[in-house]
Amino acid sequence: MAIELTLGTALAAIGAGVAVGFAALGSGIGQGIAAAGSVGAVAEDSSMFAQGIVFTAIPETQAIYGFLIAILLLVFSGIMGGHSLDTLTGLVAVGAGAAVGFACLGSGMGQGITSSASIGAVVENPSMFAQGIVFTAIPETQAIYGFLIAILLLVFGGII
Amino acid sequence: MVGDITSLIGTIGFSSPGAFIALLFLVLAVIGAIVVVVTIHPVLQYYPYMYPNARIRARIGKLFNEKQISEIVEADNLEEVKNYLRGVPEYAAHIEKYNIEKALNTQLAETYDLVARIAPDSIKDTFDILLSQWDVRNLKSIMIAKETGLTDEETMDLVVPFGELNESMDKIMDAKNIPEIINALEGTEYAKVLEDAMPEYQKTGMLLPLEAALDKNFLGKLVESVANPADDNASFLQSYIGTFVDSTNLKMILRAKADGLKFMDVEPYMISNGYQLRDWKLKELMESEDVEGVLSGLEGTDYSRVLAEVVPEYSSTGSVAPFEAALDKNIRKIAKSISQKNSLGVGPIIGFLSRKEIEIRNLKIIVRGKMEKGFSTSMIKEMLI
Repeated sequence: MAIELTLGTALAAIGAGVAVGFAALGSGIGQGIAAAGSVGAVAEDSSMFAQGIVFTAIPETQAIYGFLIAILLLVFSGIMGGHSLDTLTGLVAVGAGAAVGFACLGSGMGQGITSSASIGAVVENPSMFAQGIVFTAIPETQAIYGFLIAILLLVFGGII
Repeated sequence: MVGDITSLIGTIGFSSPGAFIALLFLVLAVIGAIVVVVTIHPVLQYYPYMYPNARIRARIGKLFNEKQISEIVEADNLEEVKNYLRGVPEYAAHIEKYNIEKALNTQLAETYDLVARIAPDSIKDTFDILLSQWDVRNLKSIMIAKETGLTDEETMDLVVPFGELNESMDKIMDAKNIPEIINALEGTEYAKVLEDAMPEYQKTGMLLPLEAALDKNFLGKLVESVANPADDNASFLQSYIGTFVDSTNLKMILRAKADGLKFMDVEPYMISNGYQLRDWKLKELMESEDVEGVLSGLEGTDYSRVLAEVVPEYSSTGSVAPFEAALDKNIRKIAKSISQKNSLGVGPIIGFLSRKEIEIRNLKIIVRGKMEKGFSTSMIKEMLI
């Protein structure tokens, strides 16, 4: 089924790319950092595997936020069928993608560093697990800000 | 509204909204690329430290705490100390295999070996050189053993099975005297280092020039490896290694001046290109008449403050030992400070090595205390670091 793309829809597609691209970049780097720390911890103490998995999984959330916004943009911009967007609404879609993309880039990397430091703290002193989780969760807030603004842009920008 | 924007774009000079949007995206792409590079760069600087730091922190968690050290001190005899260490995986295998002193040295060497293997590439050279201290220690032990006529078995009790020379240790052990040791070292850097110091050894008949040449070569390489720090982590490493080398130089000068030695006597043993004590400063200190002259020559450096704290102790005893202890304490303080300031980079590695050195030194104090008759628990506790 061929779809006739308007400039607005094309802009929304760019927004979707920015959303998932930058969010996954931040999440990937963060998760890589966390995984490197976890592998080190498990190499010294194999009982750290479960904790390592938990801390490594935490920076995954940023990619999920970006992915969700990208899916919403694709569904409601006409790429997957339905009505196309005009140019101005397309620009709003780019804004939504950039909001979640860049927020998750910073948040993902920050969370990865904290995760890695936390797994180091837990392998040194196992009673640090709860505190480690709390500290690791804090950089999540920036991603949530970006995600919320992206949702608000989608809703009040006339996309959803 | 759309019409307003279109006319606004027209007044700026763009032929169509499409051209304007294309330029807008180009600008945004450039800004985005700059943001990504600027954001990622500092993160990537610490990325290589994540794996080694997790392993190091696991080891930090296994270091003896005060309560455990206290339990070991309270042991009734040496066998109880050994039994305690048999229950600790890091020490168990070595305790079964070697005498206690060698077992402790082997555990320390094993720690340096681990750090050298897992250290990030950018600072790996420095930790490889630090590991080579076991080559230097082994060579010194073998030279002393050959000079004093120890048997092969007794000599092997002094040799720690780590370092680059470990594989050729049998060949070195077969040597009967110093020239034969140098022959056995042919093809290694140590052959030339010892050959250069041979005339002095032949003149004095003492091993000191050979030992000093090995130390000078080791510390010289260490200083060179951190001479041009490429990033913050390398700078922290430079400050730690630099302080260690400065302290070594300073200890030699203080001891020489306490013994009334002159510039010419101490100058051959100095390590060039120190951290705070550059060559001109070292020359000034070596030319001092006495210990007081050295102390006044240090004014303006951090070492002045470090040593000032123990001047009363020196004045009452006349011994430079308090100065040496203060310099060692300063190195440990710097290691602790780096480990706190740079917790995502090289900090934990430096902090761990410093704490491991303390642990091994304390265990050796306990072991020697238990070997000596009439050495009470409280006396051992007083000597602990």
